[in-house]
Amino acid sequence: MIKKTLDEKAFQLLKEKMDQGLFPQWVLTDPDIYELEIDKIFGRTWQFLAHETELEDPGSYVTRWMVNDPILLVKNRQGEIKGYLNSCTHRGTQLCTADHGNKKTFTCPYHGWSYNLDGELIGIVAGNKVYGEEMDKSEWGLREIPQVASYQGMIFGCLDPAAMPLEEYLGDMKWYFDILLGRSDGGMEVRGLPQRWVAKANWKATAENFAADPYHVQTTHRSTVELGISPEDPLYAGYGHQVVTENGHGINVITSKTGKARVPYQGTPESMWPMFKKNLTPEQDDILSKVTVFVGGVYPNLSFVSPIHGTEGHLHNYLNFRMWRPIGPEKVEVWCWFLIDKAAPEEYKEAAYRGYLGSFGPTGTLEQDDTETWARIVEVSKGLMMRDKQLNYNNVSNYLMGFDRVEPDETYPGPGIAYPTTYIDAISRSMHENWFKLISKDLLLKEAVK
Amino acid sequence: MNSGLSIPITAQLQMEIISLLNMEAYYLDNGKYKEWLDLLSDDLIYRMPLRETLEGVRADNVSKDASFFEETKKSLTTRVNRLYTKSAWVENPATRQRHFISNIMVESMENTSEFKVRSYFLFKRSRGSTHDIEQMFGERNDIVRKEGDQWKIVSRTIIPDQSVITTMNMSMFL
Repeated sequence: MIKKTLDEKAFQLLKEKMDQGLFPQWVLTDPDIYELEIDKIFGRTWQFLAHETELEDPGSYVTRWMVNDPILLVKNRQGEIKGYLNSCTHRGTQLCTADHGNKKTFTCPYHGWSYNLDGELIGIVAGNKVYGEEMDKSEWGLREIPQVASYQGMIFGCLDPAAMPLEEYLGDMKWYFDILLGRSDGGMEVRGLPQRWVAKANWKATAENFAADPYHVQTTHRSTVELGISPEDPLYAGYGHQVVTENGHGINVITSKTGKARVPYQGTPESMWPMFKKNLTPEQDDILSKVTVFVGGVYPNLSFVSPIHGTEGHLHNYLNFRMWRPIGPEKVEVWCWFLIDKAAPEEYKEAAYRGYLGSFGPTGTLEQDDTETWARIVEVSKGLMMRDKQLNYNNVSNYLMGFDRVEPDETYPGPGIAYPTTYIDAISRSMHENWFKLISKDLLLKEAVK
Repeated sequence: MNSGLSIPITAQLQMEIISLLNMEAYYLDNGKYKEWLDLLSDDLIYRMPLRETLEGVRADNVSKDASFFEETKKSLTTRVNRLYTKSAWVENPATRQRHFISNIMVESMENTSEFKVRSYFLFKRSRGSTHDIEQMFGERNDIVRKEGDQWKIVSRTIIPDQSVITTMNMSMFL
């Protein structure tokens, strides 16, 4: 556990600086903080597991991770999605190591205990002969993930049985999920398995990079300006609104200098627009018709981007979700899903997929440059000056953009606190506040008891 | 292995194809991306599917629907042009990389002047002054053809052996 005296002071100082729009740099990759984060943030909040289209039929399963907890997500015979700890109850062995598949029973390769789709222990090799009659198989079923729920096809899990329900946790973000995921009849579908790779980064930095920081676009992705794909205007990713919602979530609704994208409805086929109108409220439709890029996040570690991508005149829209799985203070395993409207024409889906591969994911030309900056942050984060908890070296990061000087836009039609620019650190500051709230819970209480 | 209609694989032919792959690796490892593009045919299909972990003996674990690359000559040209800008930060400062290409097998195809070429790759990369050495390995299934005097790569499918990639990005061509 963390050292009490210094840390109490350090935490007070941390809060003081955060209230001034500053974020002490020592916390980014501090190993003790990392352990606290796993416990108090990832052990308590909802995390993304899969999209419903990844589990089409009874018996379909995928294996996932909630940081270090292995998850087996299956569709049972009744069509319900069930989440189990992917670990045999006998000796803890990882039960299923495949990425996905379809099965009726899961059998552990160690001693042969087997489970059905409802997690019930249905087979023990030589059962009664070795365990006798007194062993009750019903006590040895797979352990269920305390909470599993979905919204607009997005399945989340939570390890805390006392945590608020998913819909309450998502709050106003649901309204934006309704646009991103609910605009088309039949919703969205995932293509294939998510791409996975290990980036050199801290999860807080990657989550912030996506959810809260359109300001980086003009420099990190300057190569697109040099190629003539993006505008020269350094403010180009700043037009639109940054919207802060509850619990550290947020979304940027990026338009353009004129207040709307150069193509309506993100370059989707015109034949789909009446369907969007039908499925959305007038306010949601208004936003969708004008947006260039939606980019945001669900705290702690799910981010999304819905851009218009295209070179050489072909413009396509797709939805990319990514989960940042922390695997250490300086490493993130990125899981990257491509989603597209089920109702879109097949050739559009294919072209949008190619557009995705060209822009995001490990081979995406935009994301490649992001990985460089993420790495450069963690590579310098171990120094004494950075790690000084008393902040003697002004070792605080700057989140002053728009701080106390940009007022919310009351005319914005959607929910959340909407600022009339996306070049603002409002979502970042909200993420930090949420981080602090979660991480300091019970910590100061313990101090008081002592 | 060769049918009556196919062209026999001579030592000369094999040497020419091996030279093509060595030249390609040399271009890629020395930042000569525009020269590299010249080795690719205009009708190029360049793919890299994901590898999956699946249960079952000899299950085909090359993904049918998910990829890292689904490229044409045109899209690769866009990627290459980007590497000649000043602000493609992932390669500026430039990484140092090597493609070790081995286990090359050439097979003729029926009724065509094209050849199937299978090779193994080991890719190594060093970035900045970091101590980590990144790597990736796998197999490539190519089709090559001679256009005039010049051998060209017509099709490539890159099959990585990892289901989770451990290079911090995939800015490289394989």
